[in-house]
Amino acid sequence: MVRFCEDGKMYFVNRYLRLKEKIKEVRILALTGIAEAGSGHPGASFSAAEIMGSLYFQIMNIDIANPNLRHRDYFINSKAHSAPGYYATLSLAGSFPKEEIKTLRKLESRLQGHPVRYSELQKHHSVPGIEYSGGSEGIGLSVSIGVCLANRLDKQENTVYCLLGDGETNEGQVWEASMAAAKFKLDNLVAILDRNKIQQDGFTEDIMPIDPIREKWSSFNWDVVEINGHKLEQIIPELLNRPKGKPKIIIANTIKGNGIKHMANNPQWHGKAPSKKHLPLLIEELEGEYMISPSIIAGATGIEEKSLIQKIELAEKYGAEMIHLDVMDGKFVPNTTFSFDIIKNLRGISRLPFDTHLMIRNPGSDLDSYIDAGCDIITLHAEVCDSEKEFEDMSSKLISAGVSPGLAINPSTNLPDWIFSHLDNLDVLIIMSVNPGFAGQKFIPEVLPKMSALIPTLREHGYKGYIEADGGIDQSTLISCYDAGCRIFVMGNAIFGSNDVEKNISEAKLKIDLHLEQTLLDKSRELNIQEDWIKGRKSILDRLEIKGV
Amino acid sequence: MNANEIRFSDMRSAYGDALVNLGQKYSNIVCVGGDTTDSLKTKKFGEKFPERLFNVGIAEANLVSIAAGLAIAGKISFASTYAAFIPGRCLDQIRNAICYPNLDVKIVVSHAGLSVGPDGASHQQIEDISIMRSLPNMRVLVPADAPSVKKLLEKIVQIPGPFYVRLARPSTEEIHMEDSDFEIGKGKVVTDGADLSLFACGTMVSASQKASDMLKKDHDISCRVIDMYSIKPIDSDLIYKCTKETGSLLSVEEHNIVGGLGSAISEVTSEICPTFVKKIGIRDKFGESARDEEIDSLLDKYGLSPKEIVRNALELKKRDKK
Repeated sequence: MVRFCEDGKMYFVNRYLRLKEKIKEVRILALTGIAEAGSGHPGASFSAAEIMGSLYFQIMNIDIANPNLRHRDYFINSKAHSAPGYYATLSLAGSFPKEEIKTLRKLESRLQGHPVRYSELQKHHSVPGIEYSGGSEGIGLSVSIGVCLANRLDKQENTVYCLLGDGETNEGQVWEASMAAAKFKLDNLVAILDRNKIQQDGFTEDIMPIDPIREKWSSFNWDVVEINGHKLEQIIPELLNRPKGKPKIIIANTIKGNGIKHMANNPQWHGKAPSKKHLPLLIEELEGEYMISPSIIAGATGIEEKSLIQKIELAEKYGAEMIHLDVMDGKFVPNTTFSFDIIKNLRGISRLPFDTHLMIRNPGSDLDSYIDAGCDIITLHAEVCDSEKEFEDMSSKLISAGVSPGLAINPSTNLPDWIFSHLDNLDVLIIMSVNPGFAGQKFIPEVLPKMSALIPTLREHGYKGYIEADGGIDQSTLISCYDAGCRIFVMGNAIFGSNDVEKNISEAKLKIDLHLEQTLLDKSRELNIQEDWIKGRKSILDRLEIKGV
Repeated sequence: MNANEIRFSDMRSAYGDALVNLGQKYSNIVCVGGDTTDSLKTKKFGEKFPERLFNVGIAEANLVSIAAGLAIAGKISFASTYAAFIPGRCLDQIRNAICYPNLDVKIVVSHAGLSVGPDGASHQQIEDISIMRSLPNMRVLVPADAPSVKKLLEKIVQIPGPFYVRLARPSTEEIHMEDSDFEIGKGKVVTDGADLSLFACGTMVSASQKASDMLKKDHDISCRVIDMYSIKPIDSDLIYKCTKETGSLLSVEEHNIVGGLGSAISEVTSEICPTFVKKIGIRDKFGESARDEEIDSLLDKYGLSPKEIVRNALELKKRDKK
């Protein structure tokens, strides 16, 4: 877990990969609803997906079956045009069946164009869990203040989370509320500003400049932090870390439409629905989301702590999504690297998820120490799990500690049959493409048919987790692993082997992006929508220098 | 009430006192004020329950929305300031944050109508009944005196959902007894009569009573005077009954004739008992300043004095004869 320590408190993302997976599903579901409805706001749904997902899937104390419990946390969605994303999140939180998203914005639907507070009176126009009827901008923060005042009066220790749009802060009432929240010293209020920099008519700084937004809120006596609003490892600690005696606002820098390239940061997609015909391609793009996990034992600088720190800093700076930590004990594999004590030291320097791969003979004995060191993902080798029971014990221990459990198999190892009864307790499967133990080995091509056979079988059995490619992954092997279904790529020497980490990471990403773009283009031809697709996708095709025809 | 015992009292003080009493009975009553808590007399509630009165300064949109939030978390919340600054300025907030989710917010305003006096037209709220009446889920009450304010407040805290209660600034003659009962959705006959029905609300109830006395004395016309404190829901049965028993109707209100009490009555008659409804009110124009001692003249100028009511009643009777 991203264990972020401040004031002696530990904050972490609970089952990082599972949360990531769920938010991906939110985007797919929201887009499906919008395409079906023929209208709606994909941009806002996607900029706020990680924020709402963090709240509903981890942070908030709510019981969706009993949505009126007095001690519940409250979510006031003042940015109510994010409704499709909000509904999709609520659905995955258990509010209503997923299929119902297809009724969005239609007559007789519970999913109104903008969310409606759930009550006996409005139960035909709302779903359980919705606290606030939004749609008219600028009101939600004031309403949140009212809820906070009542909570404090009733000596409740719950929190009110209020999601604000950045365009919404044009409304004067937001500043009336801002003043009042500070006056009442509401430390049970957390506002999250979805700073996607786009409003209906264009970019916020053209329509009505709101910068310097941070200074504005500070001067209104709020506790202000600024984060990347798509990074769970930044959102969650900030939602948990709270000041005393004043309200907090998290300025979440986001990308409107994040997840679909031609919608991203494009004002045209504020409130436009994609064509239903394009939906399969858009879902394919969302499912194509990948992560680069640089392995810091690689490279000529070795594994001295100083060098590891330097590599983590470079990886983070140049856009790696996580850090891969290869732990070797000299027994399960011939080499020895580092152990939990080093990981614990490294934890403090970055909030990136730690993707720890235990190549050790006895993972069970030190598992607590690895958890405690702050790993977000801990992958065990199938070869050292003597029994199903052993894996079960370790994975449930990891899950209850908030760590994503992973399983790794060596190139010659078959996936144990028992894993099929534990797919729900598995967040990542590493199919090794080298025999583990050394950095810098060559990719074993026989692993590809193995992946192609295994992955569809796992999906058929309902496995929703990630497949991670590890071993000899570089420019030449990346795409075949992607095509086989891998979405996390461990890259060692391909990133740290030469000095230019920035170039290595961006080229790897470009390679996948180009490949995905070409794949989508080819599929658009199969679907007979190529002309239309090229038109909508023009800026992306141009940027990637892909010829339309 | 015995004519020898005419008593004047102000509705705001009645509101302030009632709120304190109700606050004692209901621990979940809270109040949001906007830099007018002294004038609205909600300060008394704050003195008694300091943690339950929230003064948000001069920010009415924030005021009513905070009241909505308090209601979301289970409070009966009172939102109070001058009539001039709530229904128009906060229509959007009242509509979307209170009425749409049907929250338990009681908006109690004072200084409605022309009788605010010296502050002039900017402060003379004459459109609020019309605005508030048009909102689904909202109920609109216009009490005529201090005793009815007290009784109506006791009633509305027991009925979940939004109310708009409109009070006037000046002291008004007490019309009702302390123990009178007021049902929401009913009107109250305060003077019975057979020739004509005068439907009035707020400060115009006592003016109508005076007009009724004059009509009886000078013209031998027997007027029925009805206090229509509940404008929404409205007492259709009573309107129907009066139409059948007294013929044409007059409505009297310290409000624009567009969309107010008279309009509400016409909406009923036009559907179930077509009849003339003569509307006495401000005839679609803005008011003006007048010193406190000139308020009667101001009302007279805008057609709202007992004398003007008499004139209109006589015209109506003349037309009835034709």
